[in-house]
Amino acid sequence: MSDKHIVSSFDRDLESVQATVMKMGGLVETALSEGTRALIAGDVALAERVRRGDETIDALDLDVKTDAARLLALRAPTAGDLRTVLSVMEIASHLERCGDYAKNLAKRTIAMAGSGEIDGTRASLGRMSAFVETMIRDALDAYIHRDIGKAAEIIARDTEADQIYNDLFRMLLTHMMEDHRNIAVGMHLHFIAKNIERVGDHATGIAEQTIYLVTGALPDDDRPKRDRTSMTFEESDD
Amino acid sequence: MNDMRKIEREARMTDTKITARNVNVFYGETHAIKDVDVDIADKTVTAFIGPSGCGKSTFLRCLNRMNDTIDICQVTGDIRLDGTDINAASVDPVQLRAQIGMVFQKPNPFPKSIYDNVAYGPKIHGLARTKADMDEIVERSLRRGAIWDEVKDRLDQPGTGLSGGQQQRLCIARAVATEPEVLLMDEPCSALDPIATAQVEELIDELRQEYSVVIVTHSMQQAARVSQKTAFFHLGNLVEYNDTGLIFSNPNDERTESYITGRIG
Repeated sequence: MSDKHIVSSFDRDLESVQATVMKMGGLVETALSEGTRALIAGDVALAERVRRGDETIDALDLDVKTDAARLLALRAPTAGDLRTVLSVMEIASHLERCGDYAKNLAKRTIAMAGSGEIDGTRASLGRMSAFVETMIRDALDAYIHRDIGKAAEIIARDTEADQIYNDLFRMLLTHMMEDHRNIAVGMHLHFIAKNIERVGDHATGIAEQTIYLVTGALPDDDRPKRDRTSMTFEESDD
Repeated sequence: MNDMRKIEREARMTDTKITARNVNVFYGETHAIKDVDVDIADKTVTAFIGPSGCGKSTFLRCLNRMNDTIDICQVTGDIRLDGTDINAASVDPVQLRAQIGMVFQKPNPFPKSIYDNVAYGPKIHGLARTKADMDEIVERSLRRGAIWDEVKDRLDQPGTGLSGGQQQRLCIARAVATEPEVLLMDEPCSALDPIATAQVEELIDELRQEYSVVIVTHSMQQAARVSQKTAFFHLGNLVEYNDTGLIFSNPNDERTESYITGRIG
């Protein structure tokens, strides 16, 4: 298949909407890494910048949705073009959520300023954040190169993000049970951990869209839950 | 948003090429066009859409006085090209049609060579003094018609020997040879296959750099693809005139919505 349409303005429309999604991706990566940096350093000013930056990500999400609707209405895309439009809409939604999580991380950093510390958790959050940020970057890279091998590899990688989250969950739970003064900070840190873990899920979602774009079908296997740590309380109830 | 790809697809309404006010057309007793007001922008593709008999072609033909040739047809109202009344007694309709070129539904090359098809207009309007001038006009026009590469080695062969899509691009080259300011196209792709249609649509997008293009099409999808502004005609009324993106995603008038979604025809 030639990659150019006879009507070149169609190509420009498709390129433009994909470029907007990529720009969103870049901003989300930055928001995550700067938000995490602010969290580790307790840098309130940087956290505030990250919090405000989410507006731009939301505006780009709206741009993508508007452009995609326009493409559907005006170009009546079919086959691979249709899947391109549908997948950019999905990917933009995933990225928009990731932006929200980065913003939430920044807000909690501001809220926790000056309060106590639970040893080692912030560093662990930093590692986890760097891990999912790479997942997002690689997922977008796989998307733009239509690389389904890489996409499948990213989906598999999410298990590792879940594992880091479960370790953190266990650690935070222990600290909170040991000393109730840890609870306030522990709750914040747990929400941050959960949010970062969710970013990994969205990276997986983006990778799945790449597979859909290339093959026309979404991968259907549900990954088995290997670790039930986060279900601790439900299990102890019965 | 500073994406050039987005900026260039917008209509630039800063320059109005044609203004029409209170235009009415009667075919004998039939009131075909009812009080139409419209501003047509320069360097923009404007599409006229609407069901058969809605008046879109009739209105298009008012813009270069093609209705003059129909005895029972009476046109009233004010139509101006760059501020000049095109129906004024001082305006020569032949000269006007050199300024406002037209391409028809069915490709209609003259039964002459490809070269002569393009050279005819410039010749009768005295645009070329020498053979070299004319060669240059012919090449430039065929290039603008996006057909030069396909015909440059057989300019002396009859235009009628080309394929339908090539003939239509030849007719577009012929229309631009007289350096018009506006190009009117009356269903230019309805006799063409999808690939030839796409080639003509790509050409229309290129022509927009230099001309104001007005296209009548019974293919809504074509209007959506090629135009920046769309006018919807229904029963002789101009129902809605707006940015193409808005007409096809969120029209203001219920009749427009019904038509573009396939509920009335």
